Amino acid sequence: MEELFFIQHDVIPALWRGLLVSIRLIVPSAICGLIIGVFIGVSRVFGGTVIKTCANIYVALFRGFPLVVQLFIWYFGLPHIGIYMSPFLASVFGFSLCSGAYHSEYVRGALLSIKQGQLLAARSLGFSKMKMIISVVLPQAFRRALPGCGNEIIYLIKYSSLAYMITCIELTGEGKIIASETFKYTEIFFIVGIVYLLLTSVASWLLHRIENNLRLPGFDHYAL
Amino acid sequence: MKMIRNSVLRVEGMTKRYGQKEVLKNASLTVNEGELKILIGPSGGGKSTLLQCINFLVTPDAGRVWLKGEEIIRTHKRALYAYRQKVGMIFQDFNLFDHLTALNNVTIGLVRVRGMHKQEALDKAVYELERVGLKDHIYKYPAQLSGGQKQRVSIARALAMDPEVMLIDEPTSALDPELISEVLAVIENLRANGMTMVMSTHHMGFAREVADEIVFLEDGCILETGTPDKIFLRAECERTRAFCSKILELYGNA
Amino acid sequence: MPVTGKHVVDMMESVAAIKEALPYLLHGSVVTMGLVCGAMILGLTLGIFLAVGQVYGGAVLRSVIGVYVWFFRGVPLLVLLFLFYFGLFSLLNINLSAFTVAAIVLGLISSAYQSQIFRGAIVSLPEGQFKAARALGMSDRKSIFYIILPQALRLSIPAWSNEYSIVLKDSAVAYALGVMEIMARAHFVASRTYEHFPLYFTAGGIFLVLTYLGTKGLGILEKKVSIPGYTR
Ligand SMILES: Nc1ncnc2c1ncn2[C@@H]1O[C@H](COP(=O)(O)OP(=O)(O)OP(=O)(O)O)[C@@H](O)[C@H]1O
Ligand SMILES: [Mg+2]
Repeated sequence: MEELFFIQHDVIPALWRGLLVSIRLIVPSAICGLIIGVFIGVSRVFGGTVIKTCANIYVALFRGFPLVVQLFIWYFGLPHIGIYMSPFLASVFGFSLCSGAYHSEYVRGALLSIKQGQLLAARSLGFSKMKMIISVVLPQAFRRALPGCGNEIIYLIKYSSLAYMITCIELTGEGKIIASETFKYTEIFFIVGIVYLLLTSVASWLLHRIENNLRLPGFDHYAL
Repeated sequence: MKMIRNSVLRVEGMTKRYGQKEVLKNASLTVNEGELKILIGPSGGGKSTLLQCINFLVTPDAGRVWLKGEEIIRTHKRALYAYRQKVGMIFQDFNLFDHLTALNNVTIGLVRVRGMHKQEALDKAVYELERVGLKDHIYKYPAQLSGGQKQRVSIARALAMDPEVMLIDEPTSALDPELISEVLAVIENLRANGMTMVMSTHHMGFAREVADEIVFLEDGCILETGTPDKIFLRAECERTRAFCSKILELYGNA
Repeated sequence: MPVTGKHVVDMMESVAAIKEALPYLLHGSVVTMGLVCGAMILGLTLGIFLAVGQVYGGAVLRSVIGVYVWFFRGVPLLVLLFLFYFGLFSLLNINLSAFTVAAIVLGLISSAYQSQIFRGAIVSLPEGQFKAARALGMSDRKSIFYIILPQALRLSIPAWSNEYSIVLKDSAVAYALGVMEIMARAHFVASRTYEHFPLYFTAGGIFLVLTYLGTKGLGILEKKVSIPGYTR
């Protein structure tokens, strides 16, 4: 009885609070990450030498450094050059930049897989380079990049827990706090784990639905 | 009387369904010692299915099998594995183990199944590979061999197990015309040495020349059985006659 | 920004800080590699069993493995580290060091991912390989062990190499349990010397080098065990 009371009055509100923070971390990071990813991916394929090189270095660094290291750089490092960010902001910043680098890989792969002939056809119709990218290349590339990028967002959901390590108290953090107060580590972290499991499962279910809806007849034959 | 005494393999009532479709209907046959029995029939007629049902690589829905008078119970794993050792199988597309050299393709069964010593197995494998004319290729991997060479390795692999009967499924259909004869020569040689074999083929000239008995299979039914002369010249069944005359038309009176 | 004397002094101080901390950080990379090797080996062993079970097992086994994979791929590493370290293991009265728990948890997660790598490789093999093995009289177990796995594992090396780089980077999260790996050491020194940027970059650089060395090594292995003439 007491147990139930405790769960209702302490655990659920705290975890709910944490969940909301987590979602507020995930959504903007996913959106910014995607935008960065598309931008970088396009630069890596269509950019000039300088832009290409810069983009490649960006991707190599952000994919090569562990996310924890990146978060520490933003949160503990930046203040030394006079830039202060709240834990929340530093997390969103770190997640966006890191997942952008990963997204760009899929975007790049998708862009490269589009047949040269289509680009020639678009040019022969008088498209400018920009127009060609927007109306011919991206709609196709989007479908090819979708599975990889979607997977990346599922990773992001899980990695959002790392915000705890730079003191942004989201779902994992709230869980850690109550667990330390009550010593009910197993139960609490099991519940927290299940919540993440639900989030990732819903996300991957959505992803499959979107993929199915966007499927073009005969298009999967060219799938990567 | 003679037939019963010498029967090596007996198959009765073999039936196989895929979903609603019955691809093998109550097929029965008896193979005698030293006999070469050839299955012919249109593509999709069920030849491969019958052969693979005989050593239970495909699980039949009904049917019984006897090897040298002893019935094989499929659910007795040990007996099944022992039975498969005594039944050599040659596949249409060779199915050599891609990660092993020709030599090790032959030794692996000897070492891992028969428990033979490594050196003994190597000696035997070299002997079998020489027998099929591959002396110079024993250290090559399947991807480095021609189709005809691959099929001969697979024959050596089966022979090395000292089988009592061989099931040979269209051994030449995946081969270029000039490679076919090298494989057929090996099979003819086996027959001359008294090997008991059941073989399916589309190669009618070969069937007519060397088969002891021909079995005509269509839509999963054995329609007719008889000597080559009977099947090709005096078939009783209308369908058999139609199939044979079409083949003769296509390939001449080979 | 004009380069002033202060900048030069700063730079020299940073270099000095890195130089001083480097042996300490490199010692951390031994700890990191210990975590990664332990996790990869555990993940490999479990992953092979899971993959074989998922491909050849019965309906019950397949769904149990399905749930296992779903769980370990869907729950964050950090949550699992807390769950196992503070929760499960102490609940069961098993006293393990933070290092061991981190290696086990990384290994369990990796086994879920690795099982999917191996499963993909197994189902991509032609069915005839298994049939030919059985036709020789091999039991299912022998066929899998001597014929299927040697081929499937070869095909898995590129994906396995990718998995290595993921586990390597994830191992930095073990810092949350106080395992003194590279990241923990970098942060420890940084919070004393206030040289955050140089130290974190050095730590990141060490991870880059370890990724490079590992994938290079696995690339060499892949060449070494590749089957002559075999392409797909
Ligand atoms: N795994 C399977 N699932 C469903 N149907 C199958 C399967 N294997 C074979 N069949 C069907 O069974 C029938 C007999 O096939 P089988 O391979 O035995 O013919 P075949 O006489 O060997 O033909 P071919 O000369 O082309 O090799 C065919 O209609 C085929 O479509
Ligand atoms: Mg066939």
